[in-house]
Amino acid sequence: MEIQDTAVKAPRAEPAKSTLPQPGRPVPSRAYPGALIVVEGTDGSGKSTQLYLLKRWLEIGGYRLHFTEWNSSPLVKSATRRGKQRRLLTPTTFSLLHAADFADRCERQIMPLLQGDYLVLADRYIYTAFARDAARGCPARWLRNLYRFAPIPDITFYFRAPLDVAVHRILSGRPKLKYYEAGMDLGMSYDRSESFRLFQARILEEYDKMVDSDSFVVLDGTLPVNKLQKQMRDIVASKIDLKRFAPRAPEAE
Amino acid sequence: MPDQDKDKTAVVPSPTATEIPAATPPAQQAKPVAVTEEASSQYFFGEPLVGFDPSEITGSLVVIEGMDGSGRSTQIALLQEWLESEGFAVQTSGLRRSNLVGRDIDELLAKNAVTRLTLALMYATDFFDQVEHRILPALRSGTVVLADRFIFTLIARGVVRGINRDYMSGLYAMALRPHLTFWLNVRPETAFGREFKKAQAISYWEAGRDMSLSHDLYWSFIRYQTMIKREFEVMAKKNSFIELDGEASVSAVNKQLRQRIGEQLGIRATKYTPSAALAHLWR
Repeated sequence: MEIQDTAVKAPRAEPAKSTLPQPGRPVPSRAYPGALIVVEGTDGSGKSTQLYLLKRWLEIGGYRLHFTEWNSSPLVKSATRRGKQRRLLTPTTFSLLHAADFADRCERQIMPLLQGDYLVLADRYIYTAFARDAARGCPARWLRNLYRFAPIPDITFYFRAPLDVAVHRILSGRPKLKYYEAGMDLGMSYDRSESFRLFQARILEEYDKMVDSDSFVVLDGTLPVNKLQKQMRDIVASKIDLKRFAPRAPEAE
Repeated sequence: MPDQDKDKTAVVPSPTATEIPAATPPAQQAKPVAVTEEASSQYFFGEPLVGFDPSEITGSLVVIEGMDGSGRSTQIALLQEWLESEGFAVQTSGLRRSNLVGRDIDELLAKNAVTRLTLALMYATDFFDQVEHRILPALRSGTVVLADRFIFTLIARGVVRGINRDYMSGLYAMALRPHLTFWLNVRPETAFGREFKKAQAISYWEAGRDMSLSHDLYWSFIRYQTMIKREFEVMAKKNSFIELDGEASVSAVNKQLRQRIGEQLGIRATKYTPSAALAHLWR
């Protein structure tokens, strides 16, 4: 009975009209021909290195792809810089400004590329905002609504590294942590390194909460780089029909 | 202000308060903000604002909404003078006035290269920056805040541009609930005449030109403002707007505003004639 019921009620795939993104409504991956691969994880988890290597692998293979980074839209950049320099940002405005930035990138890069049948690689995605802004105290429900317009990734890799490893990688490589980066606005510690550590611990906790609900593919960030990259490539090859993004064979003369 | 004493007693620690510290940074745990869901919905539209204790509010938030040309700014100038003459401290707020992104939005509008969602989120940033740095500090110190437009205009603008209605109201779930919300309702045709008189022109955004409603500027303005007005009608009941006829004379509208605000603030005699500086507004 129930099966029949749902079979009758299940709406058919909507006509072409609905493939246009509707701001404020979630965009499922079947609404466009492209594919979206996302890497997430705390600072120092190794995710950017791995995404770079994945990108090289795909580029060398000649696949149609584009790469996009968190916080890279020129439109909102000056506001973000001013807000950070003058420390005007609160958890709420920090979150909103990054959402505006992401919306711009989403509407002008990510969505058009996905509609245009590209493979899109994103270094950090909405989960970065969920983890970081929740760590700052923003209500989870509000955050989820805020980013509801974002297309759902085909694969979300979550690079998990123990707190000590990640924090050590960052602290040893950077001369000075920035105010918001270290979570100084939360007033947890006057010592930047200590504040950073506490902040990262919370972010890690928030990431871990999303593993099941957002179907993260968890990878061990402490593995050797090449081993990790092998795992990543295998997963991409098994989950995404890469042939669709392959270069067209040159026509025979 | 007897109303506000009542509000304070409503904020009592509840069993759910024990769950809050988990999501609250330790710095704020030092002075726990015990906001029950019920109490918070009295101050906010949905979610409580991060790190803010509503029981600190001693001032009043009065919102004046209405389309371009409905007479909002005229009324606010007059109300400010009246309230100050009655001994009340007044702070004003309005769209695009934040230090954080006010000017950035001006630039985005001038360049007209921005998508609707980004613009909506920039306006939300501007709004919350003013809530946190202008409106709340004023309300904490017992000031009357006169807001020239509020979340309702911002929600309406997003919705008429096709942004999901639940999304827009969810965005403003952490906005403060005003003590009074006035809606100066005018016909778009009247508003057109008033706006045209001000600048001898109608701006791109006032006419909703980004929406391709009509190539004719007049009809674009009328259609756009009619759509906005319909959204206001939807919101008016849910948010207990006090609707005033914005086509009545300035003095008649002002009298009604003074009466309702007088009730809220406990001002008995609400007689007022503007000073020489503002006399030109009184018609």
